[in-house]
Formats: sequence, C-alpha cells, structure tokens
Amino acid sequence: MSNQRQASSASQVPHLSPAELSYLYTSLSLPKTPIRPDGRSPTQFRPLTAETNILPGTNGSARIGFADGTQAIVGVKAEVEKTILSNETLARNDGGVGGEQEGSAAVGGHGSWVQMSIEIPGFRDDDALPVFLSEMMRESLVGAVGTDETSDMTGGLKGRLVINKRWHWRLYIDVLLLSQPLAYPLPLLSLTTHLALLSTKLPKLKSQGEEDPFFDDDWAVAEYLYPRPSLSSGAKSSARSSFVRPPVTLLVISVGENIIFDPNREEIAVADAVLAISITRDSEAGNLKLLSIRTVDPPSRLTQPGVPNSENVSMLGAVAPTEDVAVLNPATGEEEVPGVWRPRRGGVKRSVIAEMVKTALKKGGVGEEVLEGLEGVEVS
Amino acid sequence: MGIIILPPVVEDIVPRHEESDDSMSVDSDEDVEMSGVRSPKRARIGNETVSTGVVTPGEVVTDDPQWMRGHGTYVTPLSTSIIATVAGTVQKTNKLLSVHPLRARYTPEIGDLVVGRIVEVQSKRWKVDVAAPLLAQLPLSAINLPGGILRRRTSSDELQIRTFFSEGDLVVAEVQSVHQDGSASLHTRSLKYGKLRNGVFLAVTGTGGSGASSSTTKGGVGAGALRPGAGSGMGGVVRSRRQVWTVNTHNGGGDVDVILGVNGYIWISKHADGAAAASSATENVSITRMEEMVSTSIYSSQNDVIAPQTRREIARLAQCIQVLVQGGVRVDEETVMDAYEASLQVDLEVGDDDDEDEETRHEGREYLEGAKSRRILELVVKRVG
Repeated sequence: MSNQRQASSASQVPHLSPAELSYLYTSLSLPKTPIRPDGRSPTQFRPLTAETNILPGTNGSARIGFADGTQAIVGVKAEVEKTILSNETLARNDGGVGGEQEGSAAVGGHGSWVQMSIEIPGFRDDDALPVFLSEMMRESLVGAVGTDETSDMTGGLKGRLVINKRWHWRLYIDVLLLSQPLAYPLPLLSLTTHLALLSTKLPKLKSQGEEDPFFDDDWAVAEYLYPRPSLSSGAKSSARSSFVRPPVTLLVISVGENIIFDPNREEIAVADAVLAISITRDSEAGNLKLLSIRTVDPPSRLTQPGVPNSENVSMLGAVAPTEDVAVLNPATGEEEVPGVWRPRRGGVKRSVIAEMVKTALKKGGVGEEVLEGLEGVEVS
Repeated sequence: MGIIILPPVVEDIVPRHEESDDSMSVDSDEDVEMSGVRSPKRARIGNETVSTGVVTPGEVVTDDPQWMRGHGTYVTPLSTSIIATVAGTVQKTNKLLSVHPLRARYTPEIGDLVVGRIVEVQSKRWKVDVAAPLLAQLPLSAINLPGGILRRRTSSDELQIRTFFSEGDLVVAEVQSVHQDGSASLHTRSLKYGKLRNGVFLAVTGTGGSGASSSTTKGGVGAGALRPGAGSGMGGVVRSRRQVWTVNTHNGGGDVDVILGVNGYIWISKHADGAAAASSATENVSITRMEEMVSTSIYSSQNDVIAPQTRREIARLAQCIQVLVQGGVRVDEETVMDAYEASLQVDLEVGDDDDEDEETRHEGREYLEGAKSRRILELVVKRVG
C-alpha cells in the first residue's frame, strides 16, 4: 500500500499493460497528426464547467468541473495585516537617508503575503504532491510582476496587496479538490485559482496615505483585486483589451515530436516529457509572458516494459529470428522494436521544449484561448 | 475552439414515479387491486410515505410497516422504517421495496465473458481485477499452456509464470466458478481468450450485468431498458447474446474487434485473424502446426503494425461507447453499432453546414462531445426505441 501511495504521489500512474502503452504511444506520436484516444486535436481542451462566487464567506471563490468528473473549489480570503519592516530597513530609515528608500517590502510587497493550501483527498497536507503543487502555483502567482507603471498593478499581485507603508493585505487561497485526482490535478487547480482570483474583491479604502486603513463598508463599491474591464471606468481602459491577469499553469506533454495540451491520464502515462508551463498576460503589450516552466516526473519511466516476440520464452520457436529489427526512435534516440513498449528514460529535445513554449505563447495560441475563455466567465 | 467553458447545469432530478405507481413498480402477478382502481389508502402510501426519486444511503425510504425490505435496504432492529443502503432509485415489486443502485460493482456469474487486468502474480495463480468487490483468481491450471493444446503443467511453467501474464496485462476470460464469498475463478482455456493487444481499453460504469435491471433487459423488454437521459443507472454493459463481434469500419479502417466484458471493461482492437496472425509470425508453417502457432501468439505483448485509419476508427468506437454511457443507454452490440453509424452520419451533417475553411473544420472534428454526442444519442434512441 505504501509503495502504491508513493507512486501515486509522484505521478498517478494508471496500471496499463505494455501492449496498451505501445498502442497509445504509437498513436500519439504519429507524425503531424497524433490520434488521441478521445479524438481531440492536440491543442483541444476537454469542455469544463465553471462558476464563480459560490462561497458567501470569501472575498472570491470559484468552482470548475472537468468533463471526466474531477472538480475543484477555491476560496480566497483577504485579511489586513501590519507590515513588519525588517531591522535593516528600520535602521536605514533612522539613519536619515530619507523617505526615498523605504523598505522594499513596504513598496514592492512580499511573497509570503500570499498563502496557499491545497487539499487533495487521500493525501495528508504535508505529503509531497500538495506541497509541491501549492508552491508551484504560489511561485508563479507572486512572481508575476506587472510592468505597467500607470495601473494599480505595479509590482504585480504583491504590489497590489500593499495598502500603505505600515499595512498590507494577506491573501489566503484555499484549494480543495473535491474528487479523487484522476489525472495530474495541476491544470484544474490552476484554472480554478485563476478564476477565484478574478472574482476576488477587496473593500474600498477610505483612508488616505499613511493613516491606519479604514474601509468603506458598502460591499457594492468594493474593488476587484485584478481590475476588470467595465463600462464605467472610461473609454481609455475599456479600449485596452488586456489587463494584468493572474497566471495559469498549463500541463503540456510531448510524445515523439508531437505536443499535446490538456492530457488525460492515459496520455500522461506514455509521455516523453511532462511540462507545467505558467503563463500570464503582460499588461503593456497585451502579449503573453512566460513565468515558469517546471518539468514533472513522467510516469512512463515506471511502467512495465513489453517483451518482443523474439525474446518471449512462451513463444519460443514460433517466430523467425529475423522478424524483429530494432529501429531508432528519432525522438528519443533509442533503439526500439516497433510495437513493443519501452519505458521512457526521460529527457527531451530542446527544439521540442521550444515548440511547446511557442505553441502556448503565440498570438491566438493555446494560452490566449484559455485566458480568453476564463475571462468570459461571469464573475458577479 | 481550443477550450469550451460552460456554465454549470443544474440537473433536474425528476422523480420518476411521481405521477403513477404502475409505470415504476414491477408487477409480477396480476394483482387486481394494483391494476384496477386503487384504494385511497394505497395511493397515499405510494405517493407520500415512500420517498421517491433518488435516495441516498441512510435515507429513510418509508416508515410504513407494511412494506418488506428488498435489496439495497436495511431495517434497524427496533424500528420498522426501511433505510436505503445504496444511492439509487426506489423500486417496488408488490410489497417489496428495493433500491436499485445508480452504480454498482460487477457481480460475477458463471459463464460471463469478462475483461480483467492482472494485479498480482502468485506462485500458481494470478489475481485479476474484474471490477468485482473481490479480486478474481486465474489459476495456472486454467490457462492454455503454449507449445501444445493440452499438456500437464510443469514446475518450469510455475517458475516462468510471468511470461504468460504479468502485472498490468489485460486478459479476456470466462468466469468458471463463483465462490461462496462472491469472488470468481476465471479460465482462458479457449483460443478466444487470452492476453489482449493491438487496441485500447476503456472502463464504463453503470450497474452492468448485475442489479434488478437485468430482469427487464434479459427478457427483451426493450422499452423499459432504454431510457436515455434519465440518469437511472440503466447504462453500462448488459449480458447479451454476443459480447464479442467484429466491426467492418468505414474510412478505410478495416476490421475492428470489440469485446464487451460483462464487468464493464471493454477492449477495442484491430481484428486479428487467427491464421493471419500465425502466418505473420512465421512465413512457412505447416497446417498441422497452425493450432500451435495460434496458441503461442496469445502470450505476445508486441503490437502488430496498425494503420492510422484503423486507429482513428478505434478511437471513434471508443468515443461512441462513452457517449452511450454518458447518455445512460445500455451498451450492447446493437446500440454500439447504431452509435457508430450515427457518428458517421453526424460527421456528414456537420461537414455539410460548416462553411469555415478546411483547417479549422478539421480541428477537433473527431471529438464527440456536446452537440455531437446529443445528436448521436438522439439517432440511437430513434433506431432502437
């Protein structure tokens, strides 16, 4: 049991036979036109259902359900907290250098102001998978820095959380996976978190400057954490189609030379490489920006190898010895007998990774479609 | 086209026997009172004190002492109220109350054709996952040993047990016997059975061959069995005459075999002709050794060369079955073939009224979801019902 648990915490491997793995791999690695087991095109996502503001006690919340039945709920809560300046900063201020050099935390914000916890059924909260996932998502969230100097979002999410030099917001993002993790749950959790953050509102600040913060208690005038396009905010900002947006993390796999988005778990099981690509929208140009790439341990390493007929003891004498000729797989550079599964040894070509990033980021590409789709969800 | 985000759908759970008792309750004998004018008291019981629609485990189905408890229910010793133990629909047979589960594990019966996955290798047998509550066992003595049709198993066979079936391998087998505790013993002593390759596996849920629905489906009362969209747990593979057949696919796909395991495990693969498989393995084999060749190739885990067209049609068949399961339609040869034909027809329809350029139309054209799956279900229901 513990062995099984270990395997699942790394990579949710479904138990597949070598013949199935070989069939899947060959189908997915057909040059130019991979055949996915469910007939989707390489960049097509499974349809999902989404709704926001489902939890009344939170500042923002969302629920997303994938077609395979996995569901996640995310709640975002915000809390006002006193900024603790580091000793070094205080000393510098005391030394009379002046107001120009405030503590960097008081202006730029601090990554620890965003706390994320992920709960996955069947896992303890200190298991590797939830900890790794939450750190992976938090990192891209606080790492996203807006370059637009004019908007509120200077310094990205961290900068938005600063109220004044002495006070700041602290965000608690609680992610709850409602179903068993059928596939690697990262994309689902990331999309849900993105949507929850889009719907997050903070009460309107009434106090000014360095006063102790004092908020408008009318929830109707509360401001979105991530500003939304609206009719009232003037022609200038509504004309600009792009705003700073929380990052989304997409799971991309490569099989042979093909690049496949939104893989289901059978597809992950035969992948040469599994990548988690975090992207966000850069407010200035409206282009997409790459925040991080993480490789995820491909579960195909741990699979059972197939036995070629020529080496199969139970088929001794039935096969002509010259039958199986090993050919070189161009993608991995290994010799394999066609139709026989060999576990992948990991490693992926540079050009494939470049292609993956390009497909995600390019104009009208997958990343843009996903962000647009999420933008279209009603958030009131 | 890349991503579709839908608003959540509130599923209306329409209590299926709200308006009349007779549509739901299976009347085994000609009860005058039931079929004729119902007494006011009886009507009150039927409509008020027995909860209708979907019940959940622990929910009190009725407090009335006149009902007898059936499958899927229990009664606490000190009370008369009948409580559901499974999530499902209430079924009434005269005075017998039972709850028919929405989803149930497979209950093995002798003679069932099942697809299973080896999960454990022991010294003289395999443990096989067949979606039953307990793992089934496949003894070494119940398989065809290679190199001869009938021979004694030797200790060397025991030592190289993994060369026949190893962990993760898929087998198609038959239930030979069912033990006291409900676990099954399988056998593969036929050329039809053995290791599976050259295809894809899919598992469907539903009540499968088990449950009360088999009483209607077995008897061939089609109208009762096919109730699409009701979400009634009627979907899934049912026991039928033919569980294995060959589809002559369109679009140059060639022949494709479909194996519907009664346990809801399904295997769709390229058609392997026995003689052809043997001759592909060896060029010159005498006719007397043919039998032997076939029996040895059943332990191969090497796939044949499969054309992309065949792979596409296999993917299409797999999707058709998924559509049927999601629509709550039973899965058997008739419905699968209808769904396959319907999917081809839907493709033509979409191709006709779509005036976008070729490239975008091709994008994800083979993905049967949403409108396409609804249309396929419609067509299937029309043909079957």
